[in-house]
Amino acid sequence: MSDNNALIRVSDLTRNYVSAGRDIPVLKKVNLDVLRKDMIAITGPSGCGKSTFLFILGLFLSPASGTYYFDGRDVLALERSEQAEFRRSQVGFVFQNADLLENSTVYENLEFPLIYAGVHRRRRPKMISEALELVNLGHRIRHPSNLLSGGEKQRVAVARALVNKPKVILADEPTGQLDQGNTQYIMDYFKGIVAEVGMTLIVVTHDPKVAVRCNRIYVLNDGVLKEG
Amino acid sequence: MRLNDLFEISLRQVLRQRRRNIGAVLAIALGTAGLIVIITMGHNVKEKINMDLELLGGATRIKAYFDFFHEKYSVPMPQWFREDTVNALRRLKGVMGVTAVFFCDGIDICANNNYQYIKTSIVGVDEYFWDVNSFSAAKGKFFGSTEVGERAKVCILGEDLAKTVFGDEDPVGRLLIIDGNFYRVLGVLGGIGLGDRVEKAFVPITTAEDRISRFRYPDQIYVRCNTWNDVEAVASSIPSVVGTHQPAEGLQVKVALEHLKRVKKIAWWVESFVYLAVAATLILGGFGIWNIMMANVRVRTREIGLKKAIGAEDRDILHQFLTEALCLSLGAAFLGIVLGRVAVESLALLLGSRPPEELFVFCVFLGIMFAVILGVGAGLVPSIRASRMEVVAAVRYE
Repeated sequence: MSDNNALIRVSDLTRNYVSAGRDIPVLKKVNLDVLRKDMIAITGPSGCGKSTFLFILGLFLSPASGTYYFDGRDVLALERSEQAEFRRSQVGFVFQNADLLENSTVYENLEFPLIYAGVHRRRRPKMISEALELVNLGHRIRHPSNLLSGGEKQRVAVARALVNKPKVILADEPTGQLDQGNTQYIMDYFKGIVAEVGMTLIVVTHDPKVAVRCNRIYVLNDGVLKEG
Repeated sequence: MRLNDLFEISLRQVLRQRRRNIGAVLAIALGTAGLIVIITMGHNVKEKINMDLELLGGATRIKAYFDFFHEKYSVPMPQWFREDTVNALRRLKGVMGVTAVFFCDGIDICANNNYQYIKTSIVGVDEYFWDVNSFSAAKGKFFGSTEVGERAKVCILGEDLAKTVFGDEDPVGRLLIIDGNFYRVLGVLGGIGLGDRVEKAFVPITTAEDRISRFRYPDQIYVRCNTWNDVEAVASSIPSVVGTHQPAEGLQVKVALEHLKRVKKIAWWVESFVYLAVAATLILGGFGIWNIMMANVRVRTREIGLKKAIGAEDRDILHQFLTEALCLSLGAAFLGIVLGRVAVESLALLLGSRPPEELFVFCVFLGIMFAVILGVGAGLVPSIRASRMEVVAAVRYE
């Protein structure tokens, strides 16, 4: 698929891991176009490089070669500080096991992206409340994050990814640690957010039930990404 | 990141980890308190030690006298210290007190009830004599400015002389005949380093002038300096001060140089040891902070990765860890300042002398400055390490 209006355009992306002095290819000339308000699932067997690909999209890792345009901009050419700026303004990241900040409240967890984005203190409570309302956790705003259930933690992580109103959410196995019920909840929230807020979602998952909830499914196998 | 956010986040983190930080905080607090006490009270303590070091032979006391047999004169030429000279010496910087003394040997004395005369030495002294020599009264009390001013017929006896004259009886309040005049015994001389003074009788110099038949004007003075650091400067000033007020031929100035050297050496060792202890405590605190921050970087690796993933720049992480180290050391310094204040107040009460308030304020600034240096110094390497972490490696850290 190729679209000139794509939010994300990845071409010929490769990435190798060095093991015992040898280059082992993880991504082999991967191509992907993602439209605005798209909801994409990337599946594949464990260790196939799904998370690596997502980390490259979030600019946490650099590819060995290839191009990556985000909203028409060559983001691989960004300086280190520009990459941080990209992460706080353009993408929201949801990790596999929620990864909330320890010894912090739900409010503090959601406040950090706003602090780094330089949002004024007075504007933060409203933005945090709105993000929490999207995942139905408005009542947990002052709750210590380590006292939340697994499902609630993942919803807070989703709210944290949303709070800065990024253009795209990158979710790495967001339901990997959750039971079936919570998995359904999280995917329902994602669908609702994409429809309501108009964000783009890229989910990495090995769970077919999660993948089928997305608009398009891609399979990464042996370093090659194909639409499934 | 805004400055108020930075301080709020860092302070919150430090407070939440307070149990882990307590050792380093206490070390820095004690070091700061020690520094404040040493600098603020050092001078007062040194003065106190000076007094106590009389044990070593009056290291801060200078003796000046006239040598009658000066080469300038073919015959012995008596010379004595004028009142103006003594007063001018009292005004010298570093001088705590000056006393003028007159000696007269072979004077007859006896208790008023036995008329058994013995020959002894009489010393005419002023009211400063006791403090300048660090003497204390073993019994009764010394005479002061009133008795000297009134030319009172009172005396102080050396311990041995009191025993010779009065036996085991208490001499205080008893009458004594000295050179044909009745004197009331006010006290018995005590203290350290009395030498042959235990066999002498002391009378007001004014009374001696009136009533001792072989009285001469005082040809000896003792000058007590504030600290041993003042001794050499004062000793070298004495000839010129005397010379401007009276003839100074034959003037001899004696300083217990060997004692002074020893006292200075002891003091240097003690002072060095104390400063070393304070420095060691502060360095220990610094290492504590360094260790805590290094451990924090390790323990909080995932947190660092997570923060970078949600948009923190390297400098945000660097600033946060540095500010945490600063909060720790500054918090410890403020605790140290409070402890230091308490210690200074207690010492001031104990020594009976209060240091200038500006000195304490100076020490507070010094303590804060040390804390900032320690905080930045100890926190810099861990903070740089934290800020340079790669996001993926940090997020995947177990």
